[in-house]
Amino acid sequence: MSNNLLEVKNLKKSFGGLQAVNIKELIFKKNQLTSIIGPNGAGKTTFFDLISGFQTADSGDIFLKGDDITNSQPYKIARMGMIRTFQLTKVFDRMTVLENLMFSGSSVTNDSFTKSIIKSKKQRNYEIELKDKSYEIMEDLNISHMADSYARELSGGQKKLLELARSIINNPDTLLLDEPLAGVNPKLAEDLLGLIQKLSSRGISILMVEHNIEAVMKISERIVVLSEGALIADGSPSEIRNDKNVIEAYLGKDDE
Amino acid sequence: MNSLLVSRRVIFTIAITSFSIYLVFILNPEGALRILINLLTFAGIYGLSAIGLNVHFGWTGLLNFGHASFMGMGAYVTLLLMPHAAGREGEVTTSGLPIIIAVFFGIAAAALFGLLLGLPAIRLRGDYLAIVTIAAAEIFRLLVRDLESITGGVYGIISYTENLQKFRPEFINSLSLNYEFAPSQAWVGIIAWVSIILTLFLLKRLNSSPWGRALRAVREDEDAVRAMGKNAVWLKLQSFMLGAGIAGLSGVLLAFNYGSLETTVFVPLLTFYVWAIMILGGVGSLTGPIYGSIIFWVIISETDRLAYIFFENANGQQLAGFRFLLVGLLIMLLMIFRPSGLLGKKEELLLDVK
Repeated sequence: MSNNLLEVKNLKKSFGGLQAVNIKELIFKKNQLTSIIGPNGAGKTTFFDLISGFQTADSGDIFLKGDDITNSQPYKIARMGMIRTFQLTKVFDRMTVLENLMFSGSSVTNDSFTKSIIKSKKQRNYEIELKDKSYEIMEDLNISHMADSYARELSGGQKKLLELARSIINNPDTLLLDEPLAGVNPKLAEDLLGLIQKLSSRGISILMVEHNIEAVMKISERIVVLSEGALIADGSPSEIRNDKNVIEAYLGKDDE
Repeated sequence: MNSLLVSRRVIFTIAITSFSIYLVFILNPEGALRILINLLTFAGIYGLSAIGLNVHFGWTGLLNFGHASFMGMGAYVTLLLMPHAAGREGEVTTSGLPIIIAVFFGIAAAALFGLLLGLPAIRLRGDYLAIVTIAAAEIFRLLVRDLESITGGVYGIISYTENLQKFRPEFINSLSLNYEFAPSQAWVGIIAWVSIILTLFLLKRLNSSPWGRALRAVREDEDAVRAMGKNAVWLKLQSFMLGAGIAGLSGVLLAFNYGSLETTVFVPLLTFYVWAIMILGGVGSLTGPIYGSIIFWVIISETDRLAYIFFENANGQQLAGFRFLLVGLLIMLLMIFRPSGLLGKKEELLLDVK
């Protein structure tokens, strides 16, 4: 059994003349907390879109736990246990927080049209369990007092929490977090970081795109640096901190 | 507090609906019951159609502007499967299926048409879907018009009402003698309102189910639905099929109410009437379209009388203008004072006036 979670080979994606992603080879190991950093426009979010199926690559191959997912639909990839969040938080605005969670936790068979008409005892029991599970997660994340509020009434930070709660309700083995700390106040950012570390220690593999370098340095086991779509550095936080290429990419070359 | 508000909303709605019905009696010293039954039959049929549209737009957020074609599909398939006469010469077809089975196929055909239309269109978002559906509905109507050998074309279909009317209970006939109304129309009206009750029973079950929840999630954010491992396209297709099937049934009833069927029934105007009813009643509300439909039909059928009060010498054309002036005014007032419609939830407001 291979220890590779995600393998990317010769992955290319361009928009018009702009090469958004151009990665020769990149392998992510299971049970690691890896951060992807890079200047604005480095192709981090595009990279996430490609591996989660929201965009299709021009060329190249992507393997998730050994299976080719290069042209797979997003929902199929999610069902394989890899769940993503979005840079601009996407919650179901006109549904309650509880409904947001119950929808996300509900299995595909539970959602079926015919089962929803019949409403068997089995389904009702499943829904009760789902509700309990949702409350458990809300309590973990301190949003249980908001259970019956519409998601659009939540603050930006609470929406981030809700999105995270929604992502973990089905016990995924991999999380793709797209800027989980963006626009969040320092106190909540601290809490979120702790939460991410806790999830990681539970054995969930995490890939995270984040601009908060300090936070990234603090919690990551490995950091991958992208610039103009290409991989320019890859290593532990201390290695990245002193990497010449990285410093150049962020600050520009010395002789300029 | 919240439940109090909801009940106040319901009371207001029922009051204004009752007042509309009362208005019919005030404005028509003679034959009020006959007019009322005509009006309630139309209201039931259009209300049923609006309930179907609400599954598309209110629940799933699909901008469907081709609703008339689903109604048409249901009507044409049902009628053609039963004994009828069609075309220029009124060619008679004496063999056919029993009405129950024919209606079943009609509904199934409408649902299938929803699926067919959905397949290419459903990946489009918002206004693009609206354009495709309105175009598809027009293609459907023109095809039906030109396939004269099957559908009767512009000459339409006749002599099919007996399929339904032979099952008319005796009590309607005896009542109609005493109160002077059209028994055949009353029978269609009764079936329409029974259909509404049955459909609402089904939808109420679905609304509070995991499936209904999934549709609402699609309405809110498709990408997030996909990211949660749910097949958003399939959910949208299912919604399309259910709403189209309900519209198909209402189309069948409309055909029986008219007594003869022509393609001109299914012009885009029909779709917009149904939209107006849904908005009036409250987008996303289960029972809203019923009240919306009654009020809408009171206005449509009683403005003539109302106009005579204001303008004694108005002619037909002016009356038609006045009618739509009233409908327009009502929708404007509604958008200003109650943008979520009569029974829609403010928190789930779907039509943001900006």
